[in-house]
Amino acid sequence: MSYILQTSHMTKTIDGKDLVKDVNIHLRKGEIYGFLGPNGAGKTTVMKMITNLWKPTEGMIELFGERLMPASYEVLKRMGSIIEFPTFYEHLNGKDNLLLHCEYMGYYHPKSVETALEMLELSEAADKPVKKYSLGMKQRLGIARVIMCKPELLVLDEPTNGLDPVGMKKLRDLFKMLCTEYGISIMISSHILSEVESIADTIGIIDHGNMIKEISMKEITEMNTAYIELNVPDTKRAAYVLADKLNLENFKITDMYHIRIYDGRITANDISKALTENGVEIGGIGKKAESLEDYFLKITRMEG
Amino acid sequence: MLKLIRLEWKKNNIMKYMWKALAMVIILLLLLLTIAGELEAAETRFDYGNSMLKSGVELFTNMSFIILTCVMLASFIVGTYKNKTINLMFSYPINRKKIVLSQMLSVWIFNFIALTLSKVLIYCVLVAVKKYTFISAEGIRLGDSMFYVEVLVDSAVMISISFTALMVGLMMKSSKATIIAGMIIVCLTQGNIGVYTLAGNIPFYITLLMLSAVSVFLSLYKLETRDVL
Repeated sequence: MSYILQTSHMTKTIDGKDLVKDVNIHLRKGEIYGFLGPNGAGKTTVMKMITNLWKPTEGMIELFGERLMPASYEVLKRMGSIIEFPTFYEHLNGKDNLLLHCEYMGYYHPKSVETALEMLELSEAADKPVKKYSLGMKQRLGIARVIMCKPELLVLDEPTNGLDPVGMKKLRDLFKMLCTEYGISIMISSHILSEVESIADTIGIIDHGNMIKEISMKEITEMNTAYIELNVPDTKRAAYVLADKLNLENFKITDMYHIRIYDGRITANDISKALTENGVEIGGIGKKAESLEDYFLKITRMEG
Repeated sequence: MLKLIRLEWKKNNIMKYMWKALAMVIILLLLLLTIAGELEAAETRFDYGNSMLKSGVELFTNMSFIILTCVMLASFIVGTYKNKTINLMFSYPINRKKIVLSQMLSVWIFNFIALTLSKVLIYCVLVAVKKYTFISAEGIRLGDSMFYVEVLVDSAVMISISFTALMVGLMMKSSKATIIAGMIIVCLTQGNIGVYTLAGNIPFYITLLMLSAVSVFLSLYKLETRDVL
């Protein structure tokens, strides 16, 4: 399997402290990779190393099939990135900032600036100095800048920061479109899980600098397609019935009154019947699907 | 490299600095015209042995342009680390050393040309107005080619010396520190305590030039392998 971006045991240590340790990332061409983790987990550190701003203490990074070295400048032509927040020459207008970017990237294509501004709905503000832009407008201008030169890989660190829900939705659609129509691979970090869930093909979860899990969204969906949630006043007794009478193993007591049953072979009716026969009172029973958020919380808690 | 220098000028709005330099030259010219008589009188009275008017021109222009160079270094280089635009610059497919070198050269070339032109312009005006005033302008030898060589060398030395402030600014990651360092350089190279002065002291200038070279070297040293903090 060929990857457009691959890291192997990537570690960054500063002043004896491991900011990230043994991070392995695999991003296939044309895929959207959702990079999740709580604040301070090491997402930005990883992205800084991928974009060559920081150098790994150990391990290696492979971009477009080539090992990333300190003097690997050519690969930067093929990628676009926003790390932390987009920076601009504030006294220049939006259009001039983009034109300057084209000059530095060595990208000359007529109308590319206008098209990018149009895509991000910034045409009207194109001639305004960037210092007069709102946070959301700056964020959109940053996106316009990175997509303008048609990169093969986008590395975006929380790109929806400062955007309203409508703006977020538009950006999600844009990323999806860039991915499907132009074959651009995107690595995107976000703390809004539902946002990544709707566009990502693969998820990487990082916590306390350690890569906890890398899994495709398809696998998550298959693993946790659905579960039966049971609301009972006596979870201990209910758990006994599930384990002893129904021979179920794949269930979890989530709190004092709730049990989740992940075993797909059993139906809500069978459970209800068994519990009633064994004198367990049922407050409620229903089939539910687990969101990425549930999955994320589950595995970060497990690691914690 | 030339393209990178041009882009540096473009994104840092070089026209703004051009107008500043022009305004500065006009003010200096007016100041020198006001005190030129006094300077020449002092020269006769104390018999200093060199043209006080010329020294005055050198003093005021050097002072002003050392400060302007430091202001530009603060904005073109130190400021980029502060406002993080250096991260953007280092995301381009261009050798990092070339990027930082182009930033330095854009400041050096602009100030060298501006200082040289300013000096020549001021000297020309002083010579042109001498018949209408009491100025003799004897030490200003506009017809002598060596005079221009002197102006060129002196301008190059002064602007290069200003780069010592870059080291201070980068070490402290502060634009203000860069400008303050520039002011200290002005005091050291142009000032005097009583009759004692380091102005024109060749070994001292060589030391400062070496410090500037170290400053440039350190700015470029291990730039590729260094983390951009």
